[in-house]
Amino acid sequence: MIRTALRVVRPARPEAGADPVPAAARPVLAFEGVGFAYDGRAVMRDVSFRVAPGEIVALLGPSGCGKTTILNMIAGFLAPTEGVALLDGRAIAGPGPDRGVVFQAAALFDWMTVAENIAFSLRCAGRPRRERRRVAEEMAVLVGLAGREDAYPYELSGGMRQRVGLARVLAARPRVMLMDEPFSALDVQTREALQEEVLRIRDRTGCTIVFVTHSIDEAVFLGDRIFLLEDIRAGRFERFAVDLPGPRDAPENRLAPGFLSLRETIYRRMRHHG
Amino acid sequence: MSTDEATARRRYRILAVLSPLTLLGAWAFVTAQGLATPTILPSPLAVLASLTDMVGHGYSGVDLATHVLASLRRVGIAFCGGALLGTAIGLLRGRVPEIDALFLVPSELVRPIPPLGLIPLFILWFGIGETSKILLIFLSVFLIAMVNAQAGARACSLDALRAARSMGAGRWQAFRFVVLPSALPQIMTGLRVAMGTALTILVAAELLGGDRGLGFLILDASSFFRTTYVFAGIVLVGLIGLASDRAIALLGRRIVHWEGKR
Repeated sequence: MIRTALRVVRPARPEAGADPVPAAARPVLAFEGVGFAYDGRAVMRDVSFRVAPGEIVALLGPSGCGKTTILNMIAGFLAPTEGVALLDGRAIAGPGPDRGVVFQAAALFDWMTVAENIAFSLRCAGRPRRERRRVAEEMAVLVGLAGREDAYPYELSGGMRQRVGLARVLAARPRVMLMDEPFSALDVQTREALQEEVLRIRDRTGCTIVFVTHSIDEAVFLGDRIFLLEDIRAGRFERFAVDLPGPRDAPENRLAPGFLSLRETIYRRMRHHG
Repeated sequence: MSTDEATARRRYRILAVLSPLTLLGAWAFVTAQGLATPTILPSPLAVLASLTDMVGHGYSGVDLATHVLASLRRVGIAFCGGALLGTAIGLLRGRVPEIDALFLVPSELVRPIPPLGLIPLFILWFGIGETSKILLIFLSVFLIAMVNAQAGARACSLDALRAARSMGAGRWQAFRFVVLPSALPQIMTGLRVAMGTALTILVAAELLGGDRGLGFLILDASSFFRTTYVFAGIVLVGLIGLASDRAIALLGRRIVHWEGKR
């Protein structure tokens, strides 16, 4: 199959990744001057950004740069010590099913079957058994796990476990899906297949996604925008817009000139600051 | 691979059967050689004869089954009560710091006291009837179950809890669906230890008087130098211990089917 010639990505200017939300429209997510202090020591200061509906934002940076702290604040696991984190214009107060989290180590419930794991949010909401089963089967199809509904997580491969992690978040129909380096422990083939899966899921569900990663390739392949976290203590991060021609899930994108040039730009930027 | 597994399992079974048979053989050999006086170490056959005698004629005018059932009843009531209450409080202590603070000093003060040391107090407080015996066993089971359940509740992974909360689980749901299952492996291990201890305390508790129970039987026989009956009683307690341990372990593997598989 021949795809249209791939366009070259725009040169990465600082404003290239500026928040694409018109002033009047409501962003799904907004950080306004958010800071976080741990034991009286500031680990994050004055972070502001907005995320548009249906957008995929990749938070990129080395371990310990504060990207997971941002994710945990959106999830409601941590509360900002200054500024405010907003979901649909309301301050985030604790975790909730409108913001699902896919964890690095899947964090599945080993004592429940795949179907029970997927339908966990419905069980918490008191939905009847038949509905839970139906949704679990639908979600299993969506993430490519059909037929494995009655297996236990320990019977699955690492990639399949992360598919369950995706499915149980999607089953809650969240406004935002938060992903914390979910594919970093998987082999290359599985990781790439799941990255493509994430893009297809976004197209099908319109879900907004915030994706934490330390892999430049993953950030460029998945992200609509990339936040390169340099010095989060000073609230400094550089934003890049990813301009790859659709369909985004095409594996050829990984070799497209736009992909490679942005990858190089970010790599040089990271080395320069590191 | 499955044949390897089958071989390994067969080897396990053979060794598990062979080891007690070897001990029995050594015991028979030592007594047959006259290396020990029968009042100190009677032969296995003499013990078997006493056991058969008790099955037929009872001990001290009471059916052997009555002795066994009296002991099982005490252990059963004390074990179930202690396991339930200890596990419940242990889980709460593991998750709610305020409850942990309430129980910390009292439980750690009582835990090092040997149950035998409490016997005089229990006689004063609860008399020499069933209450004292059952409470003494209950206390030991309770403390072991509590410590293990608490450690189990703490073993729950932060990510699993966060996952549950972010899928809409309330405090109770997170406890019921995540904390409790995470703690189950350790709870089951604690129950095995508690059952072993319960049988140990049983014999001591039956020191508190009364005229039935395996502990009574052993103590009574020993005060009359009826060593073969002492051994027969010990064998029965041992067999009950073995059976209950296997039962709890099997139950544990059924319930905690995910343990060690990841």
